[in-house]
Amino acid sequence: MLKSRRNEILVAMVLIAPFVAVYGWLFIYPTIQMVRLSFTNAPLIGAGDWIGIDNYVRLFTDRIFKTAVWNTLYFVILTVIPGTAVALVIALMVSRLRGWLQAIVLAAFFLPFILPVTVVYLIWWWVFDPQFGIAQYIIEPIVGQPVSVWRRPDWFLPMAALVTVWWTNGFSILLFLAGLRNISSEIYEAAALDGASRWQRFRRITWPLIWPVTALCLTIQLILQLKIFDQVYLFSLGGRTNTTMVLVQYIYEQAFVHNKGGYGATIAVALFVIVVAVSVLQYQALRARGAR
Amino acid sequence: MKGILRTALAAAAIAALGVSAQAKETVVWWDFLGGGDGVRMKKMIEDFNKAHEGEIEIQATTLDWGVPFYSKVQTSVAVGEGPDVMTYHASRIPLAVSQNILQEITADDWAALGMGQDSFANAIWDAVTVDGKQYAVPLDTHPIVLYYNKDKLAAAGLIGDDGLPKGLNGIENFSAAMKTIQDGGTKWGLSTFNAAGDFQFRTIYSLLCQQDGQMMTDGQWLAGDNIDKLTNAVKVVADWVNDGYAPAYTEYPAGIALFTSGESAMHINGVWEVPTFTDLAAKGELGFEWGAVELPVFFDHACTYSDSHAFALPANAGKDMSPEKRAAVLEVIKGIVNQGLFWATAGHIPALKSVTDSAEYQAMEPNATYAVLTANMVYDPKSVFAGVASPMYSAAANAFTAAVNGEVDAADAVAEMKEELDGLQ
Repeated sequence: MLKSRRNEILVAMVLIAPFVAVYGWLFIYPTIQMVRLSFTNAPLIGAGDWIGIDNYVRLFTDRIFKTAVWNTLYFVILTVIPGTAVALVIALMVSRLRGWLQAIVLAAFFLPFILPVTVVYLIWWWVFDPQFGIAQYIIEPIVGQPVSVWRRPDWFLPMAALVTVWWTNGFSILLFLAGLRNISSEIYEAAALDGASRWQRFRRITWPLIWPVTALCLTIQLILQLKIFDQVYLFSLGGRTNTTMVLVQYIYEQAFVHNKGGYGATIAVALFVIVVAVSVLQYQALRARGAR
Repeated sequence: MKGILRTALAAAAIAALGVSAQAKETVVWWDFLGGGDGVRMKKMIEDFNKAHEGEIEIQATTLDWGVPFYSKVQTSVAVGEGPDVMTYHASRIPLAVSQNILQEITADDWAALGMGQDSFANAIWDAVTVDGKQYAVPLDTHPIVLYYNKDKLAAAGLIGDDGLPKGLNGIENFSAAMKTIQDGGTKWGLSTFNAAGDFQFRTIYSLLCQQDGQMMTDGQWLAGDNIDKLTNAVKVVADWVNDGYAPAYTEYPAGIALFTSGESAMHINGVWEVPTFTDLAAKGELGFEWGAVELPVFFDHACTYSDSHAFALPANAGKDMSPEKRAAVLEVIKGIVNQGLFWATAGHIPALKSVTDSAEYQAMEPNATYAVLTANMVYDPKSVFAGVASPMYSAAANAFTAAVNGEVDAADAVAEMKEELDGLQ
């Protein structure tokens, strides 16, 4: 009995060994190296000298780092909940359609998701172009003049968030649609017989039953948007990056433009800590909501 | 077993013989030329490969311009995986030298190339020199120039008897000229890529030089009255927008479109856009006569920002270049640099004086007209923080984008830039 248990453990070890080895080599080892690097003044290439916690001291007095933390959180606020809410609304509408019409409408909403970020960037770059962009026909009557949204710090992140929601929403819509299809129509029929209004049916049936999917969407979006880089980097090229900076962009800027690998690693460690903290917070919040 | 071994050895020997008999050198080449100049470079490489068939073969790869290119070069050279030869911006050489990733171009190399200090304009030679040593072979120099719509300038009485623009020198005269043009029914006097402050740095830096100002003196950023001179320069560019002569927040393609559609009479951009206008004119789609000249003199004397594409030999870590390989690489550089006349069709001014002095080049227009500016060029300050896609450009992007579009006062923007530059260590 004991022997076979030991055998089982051995077999299990052998079976997970390849994964553990690859995971250790590709994830754990680089992470340790990154933390080590954050205590040095290394340039982009080659090793640096050990400088203790100097990088971390600098981090706390770094104005741009503070801007980057705030901008990243602001971007998360602008995208995660609004994006998920929009996806739920669209999914609810799409689920009322039937047959080929539903397929076409769903495809229309999903299409942006398959575009590469560079294409998304070029499309929206022209849409908002101050001289030739079609969005200026909406902006100009409201604001009174064309607005260069990618060069104005107050416009930049909200518009980048809008583009991001447009771009990534298709995936959340699909998840919601799958969740909605899982809710048995019998429950709705029973509720209708009992005289439940449409709002009551949503509030009492759809919302609680779709909650696991909502939680999943929120979690995926949160992790994705904390790591925001591509769109913000592309839209801010040549512009006022110090005011529109997000965290991953600041890592890139320090390591690759300023040739400061050590300080770049320090910011990466800070981002790591922020992601862990926010994830734990969100997990607790979602669990509390689920238990109710 | 012995038999197999013998056969294998024999095969290896034959293979080795074959290689030495051919003695063909493969030169791995990286460049960042993705635009119209990239097409021309590919043609030059093809021609070179055809002319040297069986002797030298260039294996070229085109990579992304800017930070991605230089990051890749730095990291790959550090592990010995860099190319044999690569294009490099002269302005980026100081950083590369500080990281030991470039090989020196020695006196022997220059002899093999058949070139030397006298072959190039002073500013170009100086740009590839760090502490008295050269680290790259210049291919061209690519300044910014003033493109103009000849029809519109002529209508405003701004074309002289020599067929070139006149009356544009001086801040007031230039503004007055733009006003005349706009009074004549043209929407804008000038268009330029002012949505990006780093691009505007090129114009502003030219105007700084026109006042004998410098970004860096003795390792100090904007010391003494340089800060005021830079403010003056920013103010000139900002006033074009403030006074309604140039549209604010113009993106790169939009700036070109405004010029080609006739909505702006003048356009400031790099010489690399020459093929765009040449091609449009050749297809009969431009609809007006155009030209390009050296930037007008706004302050004390003529001066224009420029940079050079050059060929550099990476110092691949742990790999010594064989003499045969080095000879092949130098042959490649020599072959391409000497084709400057063809390269000039990309707008760039060839680095070799022998090319720009030739009758063929002098007959090329508008190239020959603006090429006179090589006597008045200023390159980036020699600092590891300067050069294209450098921290200095990033500081310029932040400070100038707001300033040249009238959102921030010129003096505040320059102070902000100095603060950021001083923070670089």
